[in-house]
Parts: sequence; C-alpha cells; structure tokens
Amino acid sequence: MRADLALAWRLARREMRGGLAGFRIFLLCIAIGVAAIAAVHSVSMAVQAGIARDARALHGGDLAVRATYVPADGVARADFAALGRVSEVVEMRAMARGGGDAALVELKAVDGAYPLVGDIRLSGGMALEDALADGGAVVEPLLLERLGLAVGDRVEIGGGSFTVRATLEREPDRAVGLFSFGPRFMVDMEGLGRTGLVQPGSLVRYKYRIALDDPGRTVAELRRLAGGYADRGWRVTGIGSAAPGLRQTIRRLTLFMTLVGLAASIIGGIGVANAVRAHLASRRPAIATLGCLGATTRLIGLTFGLQIAAMTVLAILAGLAAGAAAPFLFVGLLETYLPVDLALGLYPGPLVLAAAFGALTSAVFSLPPLAAAARRPPVALFRDVEAAGGERAGLAAILAAAGLAVLLAVLAVATAPDRILALWFVAGTLAAYGIFFAAATATVRLARHFRSAGPGALRRALAALARPGGETGGLLLSLGFGVTVLVAVASVEEGLSRQLREEIPAGAPTHFFIDIQPDQAERFDAVIAGTPGAVLDRRTPHLRARIASIDGVPAAEAQVPENARWAIRGERGLTWSAEQPEGAEIVAGNWWPADYSGPPLVSFDANLAHAFGLEPGDRIAFNILGRTVEAEIANLRRIAWRTLRMQFTTIFAPGTLDRAPQTYIATVRAPPEAETGLTAAMAAALPNVSAIRVKDALALVTELVAQMGIAIRLVAAVGLAAGLAVLAGAIAAGRRRRQRDAVVFKVLGATRADLVRSYMLEFAMLGGVAALLGSFLGLAAGYVLLEEVMDIAWTAPVATAAATALAAIAVTALFGFLGTWRVLGQPAAPALREP
Amino acid sequence: MELEGVHLTLVSAAGPVNVLRGIDLAAVPGETLAVVGPSGSGKTSTLLVAAGLERATQGRVAVAGQDLGGMSEDELAMLRRERVGIVFQSFHLMATMTALENVAVPLELAGRRDALDRARACLEAVGLGARTGHYPGELSGGEQQRVAIARAFGPSPAAIFADEPTGNLDGETGRRALDALFGLAADGGTTLILVTHDPGLAARCARQVRIEDGRIAS
Repeated sequence: MRADLALAWRLARREMRGGLAGFRIFLLCIAIGVAAIAAVHSVSMAVQAGIARDARALHGGDLAVRATYVPADGVARADFAALGRVSEVVEMRAMARGGGDAALVELKAVDGAYPLVGDIRLSGGMALEDALADGGAVVEPLLLERLGLAVGDRVEIGGGSFTVRATLEREPDRAVGLFSFGPRFMVDMEGLGRTGLVQPGSLVRYKYRIALDDPGRTVAELRRLAGGYADRGWRVTGIGSAAPGLRQTIRRLTLFMTLVGLAASIIGGIGVANAVRAHLASRRPAIATLGCLGATTRLIGLTFGLQIAAMTVLAILAGLAAGAAAPFLFVGLLETYLPVDLALGLYPGPLVLAAAFGALTSAVFSLPPLAAAARRPPVALFRDVEAAGGERAGLAAILAAAGLAVLLAVLAVATAPDRILALWFVAGTLAAYGIFFAAATATVRLARHFRSAGPGALRRALAALARPGGETGGLLLSLGFGVTVLVAVASVEEGLSRQLREEIPAGAPTHFFIDIQPDQAERFDAVIAGTPGAVLDRRTPHLRARIASIDGVPAAEAQVPENARWAIRGERGLTWSAEQPEGAEIVAGNWWPADYSGPPLVSFDANLAHAFGLEPGDRIAFNILGRTVEAEIANLRRIAWRTLRMQFTTIFAPGTLDRAPQTYIATVRAPPEAETGLTAAMAAALPNVSAIRVKDALALVTELVAQMGIAIRLVAAVGLAAGLAVLAGAIAAGRRRRQRDAVVFKVLGATRADLVRSYMLEFAMLGGVAALLGSFLGLAAGYVLLEEVMDIAWTAPVATAAATALAAIAVTALFGFLGTWRVLGQPAAPALREP
Repeated sequence: MELEGVHLTLVSAAGPVNVLRGIDLAAVPGETLAVVGPSGSGKTSTLLVAAGLERATQGRVAVAGQDLGGMSEDELAMLRRERVGIVFQSFHLMATMTALENVAVPLELAGRRDALDRARACLEAVGLGARTGHYPGELSGGEQQRVAIARAFGPSPAAIFADEPTGNLDGETGRRALDALFGLAADGGTTLILVTHDPGLAARCARQVRIEDGRIAS
C-alpha cells in the first residue's frame, strides 16, 4: 500500500508538470465556498469574542439584578452592597420636547457609581459627573438631529428641563440589542426625580449592577440571589448572559449566511465535478497508456486522486486565507453596525470547519468522475469508447460519494444553531439536485428526439445538446442552481421591503401611545378628540408579565422549540378584556361572557400554544409585578400580526387584573398633516405619555433590513461568482470538442455566422431550460422562507424572476459566444494535421 | 502465445459486429511473426486480444503460459507490466514525462528498484543515451518511437506486440526504429508479434500470417 502510494505520488507529480491551467476553475470553485464559510464564521467569532471580552462592561458589572415597576427595598440593597460595589441605573421611555418638536427617547438615570466597569466617552472629553450636574444631560447625536438642536440647548422631559452638555460617543453597557426605538437621554437621579415620570404602573426598569469584591463568589451568590428574589419577578444575571439579544441575532445571521455559503459550495461542487471530468478527459491517452503498461485501476485512481487532493489542499489554503482576513478587512464596516468592538484574531474553529466543508465538497464531487476515468479500459487507445456512452463510476465509488455527501449534510446540520432549518436546507438542496438532474436527462432525450427537425443551425444545436458525454448536465445544474439562489434571494428581499414600505394595511394606526396613567385616560381621549382628523383606534390596559410556568412546569425547565423561546425569555405585554378583540379568530375553546368574574382565565396565541403543547383547559402561570398568577386557558386565538394593530399573545378575563397597577396603551389614526401636531400636543398635555410613530418605527426596521440586505447581497454575489466560474469552466471544457467540430464544419463549407448561430442557439436553449426551472425553484424557496420561516406574505415577484431568467439566458449565450469565438477564428489546417 | 478458436464480437449502435471469427494462432518463444491483411480485416483486434486488452467473446488465449480467460482486469494489468510489451503506431508517450521517466513507468509499476538504471540502459540500447532528459515534445517522431520501443522492452517481456510500429514514420527513420525493435527482440529471445500492411516490414519477420475478414487466410 505504501509502495503504491509512493509510486502514485511520483506519477502524479510528473503528471502535474503540464501545469495547473486545467485546475483554475477547480481551485476557484473550492476556494470560493471555503472563503465564504470561513469568512462568515470568522466574523461571527470575532463578534462573539468581542462580546465575551467586553462582557463585564456590556453587562455593567459581575452581577445584575433587574426589577420592573418597583425599585429594590432597603433590605435587598443591603444584600447587594454586602457583595461589592453597587451602581443603580433607572431606564424608561419618555418624550423629549425641544425646538418645537417632540421625540421618543430612551431615558437613563445613573448614580455616581456609574459606570462600574468600562469607560464612558463624551464629546469634548467631558467628565460624566460634570455633564450631569445642575440639570445637565448627555444625549446621543441622533436626538439633536431630530429636534434640530445643538449642545447647550434646553430639552424638556416630563416636568423637568435639562441642558444638553455633551453628546454620547461611547456607552459601555449599551449593547443590549441592535434595536431601540429612540436615542439615549442620560441624566442623574436628581434629574429623573424632576421629570416626575416615575409613577405607579409606568414601565420603569431598575437595574442594580454589582462589581463583586470576590469574583469567585459569583456562582454561589447568583444562585442565592436568584432563589431569594425570583418570586418578585426580578431577573438576576451574570456576565455569561451579557448582550443576549445581540448574540441571538449574530447566531441567526451566521446561520443564514452559512447556508448561502454552503449553497455557493454546492454550486461550486458542480464546477469541481466538471473541472475534474475535463481534466481527466484531457488525460485520457495518459490513463489508457498507463493501463496498457500494466497500471491497475487502483493505481490510476490513486495517481489522479492524489493530484486532486493536492489541488484541494491548495484551494482550501487560499480560501482559508481569504476567510481569515475577512474580519480584518470588514472591521470598519462591521463596527458601524454592531454595538461591540470586534475581537480581531485568528480563530481556528471556523477555519477547521470551512476546511472540512471544502475537503468534503471536493471529495463528493471529484470521486464519481475520478472513479469513472480510472475504469477507462486501455483498449480505448485503439477504439473510441466514448462514443458507446463513456465510462461510468463503479457502484463502490458511487456509494462512497453518497456516504461522503451524507457526512457533508450531517456536518452542515450538526454545526448549525437551528438544526431544523439546516435540515430543510439539505432536503431542499437534494430535491433541487434531483430535479435538475432529471431535467438534464429529459433535455438530452428531447434534443435527441427532435435533432432531425428544423433548420440547420437548430439541428446542429440540438445535436450538440444530445451528444453523449456532453456538458449539458453540468451546465444545466450550475446555471439552474445559480438562478435558484438569485431568485430566492430576490424573493426574500422583495417580500421584506414590500412588507415594510408598501403594505401598511389600510386602516392601520399611525401612532402608538404608551404609559398612559389610568387617571389620564380622559385627558388623553380629549387631546385626540381635539386634533382634527385624529381617531382613537383602541385604548386598552397594559401590564408586563413573564411566563412563570407552562402547565405546571417552570418556564426555565420547559421544553420549548427554538422559534418560540422568545416568549419565555423576558417580560411581555399583556392585557385584559371582557370583549373579544375585533378581528381575532378563536380556533379552540370559547370566549368568556362579558360579565365574567370567576377564577382566572386567559385567551392565548394559538401558534405559541402549539409550540408549548397547550390546549384549552391547560394551565399557564405568569409573574406579574412579582406576584404569580396561574390561569386556565379558556381559548386559543389566531393572531393576524401583519395588520400592525395592537396585539397581545395573552388576554386575561376580567376579574383578575382589574386592580393591579397598570397603564393604558392606545393606537391612534391621524392624517399625515396632523401627525407632528398630535405628537407635540400630547407631549405638552401629558408629558409622561410616550408616542411611537409607526412610520418612524418602520423606518428603523427598514434601515435594519437594508443593513442585513447588504450582507444577503454580498453572499448572493458569492453564490453568483461560484455559478459563473462553473459556467465558464463547463464551456471551457467543451472547447476542444467545439474546436474539432468547427474545423470539420468549416472544411465542409460552414461560415462563421452559421457556427455562431448554432452555438448561440445551443446555449440559449440550455439557458432557457435552466432559467425556467431555476426561477420556479427559486420562487418556491422564497415562498417557504417568507411564509414559513419569516411569516411574511409572499407574492410572486414575477418581474424579478423574469428579469433574472432572461439575464441568465443572455449570460449563457454570451458566455457560449465568447467561449467559442476564438475557436471560429482559427484556420482549419493545423487542426486537421493533428493525429 | 497461443490463440485457439478466438471469436470477437463488438456491440455497436448498428448492431453486433463479428470482428474475429475463429482465429487459431501460436508463436513460439523468440519467434518473429508478422500479421498482415487489408484494413478492417481484424489484424489489430487479434493483437488486442492477444495482449489482453480486449477479451475474446469465445475461444482460448494464453500468453507466457498463462490463460487470460479467467483473469481480472487488474491481473491482466499485472501480466502486462511484467510479461508483455506493447508498441503503438502513435507512440503514446506521456507528454509530461522525460524519455527516461517514460521508459521507467512499467518498471516502476512492476516495483523494480533499479527502474531508472534499467530505463537508461534500454534508452542506450536504442541509441538515445544522450536524450534521456528530453520530453516527448522535444524528440523527433523516430526518436519518440524508439523511446516507446525501449519502454516496451524495459521489463524484459516474454512477448512484444507492435501495431504498425512504423506507420507514422518515413523510410529511414522507420528503418532505424525497426532495427532497434528487431535487435532487442533477438538479444532477449523475445517473441515479437507485429501488425503491419507494409510488405517490406512483414518480410523481416520469420513468419507471416494473413488475416482476411476475421479469419486466418494463409
């Protein structure tokens, strides 16, 4: 075996003296896939390592206790102080007024100890203490932009008036998520008191950050604190859970981009197979000669297998280099979008994973053509075996390739954070492969059947398509997959943007108002009534609650699928109501009578209930303001989230929450000309009531989606690059054959125009089949992604799909034309003199 | 080498073609035998069957005392690397290997440690001792054929099969290649079976066999 290997390696090295030109497409295809996966994972690691490195600062301390509505009492504060240094931060939403306008802000009051960990940086290098003293405030530049103000101007919040002393350049604990409704407005505790906004029932968050004297106590203290205060609904976290929202977002983005990277690898894989087949075809005489001289099939396979392995290693190294460099190249761009600094470095994990994907892809796609070529009988030197259908890989090689493909799929699924989605991706890819393969076979059969029909150019084109051992299959697969990816990405992008820009349903509210105190309800309604054109859509009680247990099982221990975990992760809003909300569809159970007053009942979201395994009659408990309330599920509702109206997953029956501290939340419709006036009037009349303009919120989401769109397009471009490389490779593979044919045609009197016509026809027909199927599959993939994964309405993006399909046909014909133009210019004589 | 009642039927798109229809042919060790006949008569097919490159549809084929009928493709390959040499009309040298490496291939396949030394000696024997480091592209047609002859003789085979060995060469060049071929065969006591339609070449062999329409005619 070792002697065989040594001999094979010697033969392989001699064989490679011919140069690597034939391997260019092969190298490109493997390297693109490896680079995409390595880059996505390296960037993801750099972000996560950045979070981990700055976790203490992002978290605000070693331990954090978060209480909602009610601050910690003296006993609890003494407990905290016994552990180490403590800093208290109070956060809420508020309306800031100034420059004749009003804007929603994220108000944050800090004590003298803030920040416990990390540094805060203000414009002009001002110290935080100086900036906040004597009615000072520090704001994010965005607020000044929105209100048209500058540093030094005054801004009112509630009953307090503040001077903006500096803008916030860096807030160490800001990275809670990518998404916030308003810019930061930071004051001191005295300033918060002057606003008068801290009212019973208003949504205020008290955060106590503790820098432990003895960090070794963390785990034990965490448990004790959690045990001691869990019944109050407080959340106690350690630095391990810093920036959970951001981590989640990064994980999901990584998954999506990895899948696109894998798609690029698979498209590239077709290029690998084509390139290996073309290379081995050019080595046919050598292979047959080796056979005549007594080389076994095994030795021939080993010789060319070692060549391919060497090329794979080269391609993987190139891909890894590009992938590992990605975080360094994109650090500037990424840090403008992400609230953390990247921890730049070389991460071996992603590189090993990308290398494994590259090696497996190469093996899966190289093995069948390699095994087929090694079986080439030596008698082929004397007789054209290819005309009889060529060689086929043996069963063992096909089984081995299938086994490796399964391994590739297992690796893709096992390393994905969302295995179900990854599994769907694998299944979809296999199905697409099968469909394209069947289409290729059908195209060849049809071409064979109709080859004697029509004018000369068409006949020649059909004959070329039907030719045994031709490149029809490879071209169809690569082109079709490319079109599929493009149309799917276009579908998703179009669906997202349409959802955001155009499809605000008729009758959707224009404003959300939150934190309306019960005693302000009448004045609130009066302000709406006093604004011409404004209509109160709905005003409903609002409480915050966390799911405590699901049918008796504590929420933390309940088996909840990944896509429903958001519902148990933190506090969610809920309401109570006697009447069934307008437009809600009851799918199980019954709505309670309007005058119900009995044991607690709830109406629950049907989708969540399905995920939790709940049915009417089951029980679910909520932690509301530190009190646990268990209720029986009376009915399940299907919620139409897309209407943009106020929706609650949980609605209590009357009688349970009526006397709990609560606020109102309201939706209002106002004509465009009244929008600014309404916000300003409400801010003046009820300074504690926050207004969220639907338009602003949508603009924010649109911007976020646009940012993600850059990433999606970037990766789609990688897929496209892989597809084009494959296309170019497949056409190059057929060039020799075309050259020979062209010479014979010319000898027989064909003009260049004749040949161009038939080549273009051939490629246009291939492009047509690929574009048609690819568009169809891309639309189907877009449908699944939008409707099933993202819950966004799908409509066929016909124009985009048609444009993509036409472009694919044009590009194929153009590539075919460019690839054969050189052939046409060559004189016939030298080719005829060749043996 | 022995062929007994050998039939060869090839399947083509137009239906089966009976290429050989009962060939009986034997050559004793050291004999030189020319197979002649018109184009398409089955000369080359006879050679392919005898060299184990094509399986007879019917009949018995033995080379160097071994029956080829029951051997697998790989066993046939191993037989070729040790006992059978083949010389092609169009040489079939590896373009990426030097003359020396080309000659060494069957020796290396047979696992011989002295592959390169033996290859050098063979090249010297055909008068190419000065051109061992040249690639096929740097050699003339006649030189290429002499490299191919050296390659065939490298492992000291029991039999050499040559298919129109001078078909691509002009008179003088062809003659020098043939001198090398016959010289080496005589030196090693190797059986030489060559297919040709050149009467001059056939006359250099001790015996001639004529094949017409898949049968031995004389």
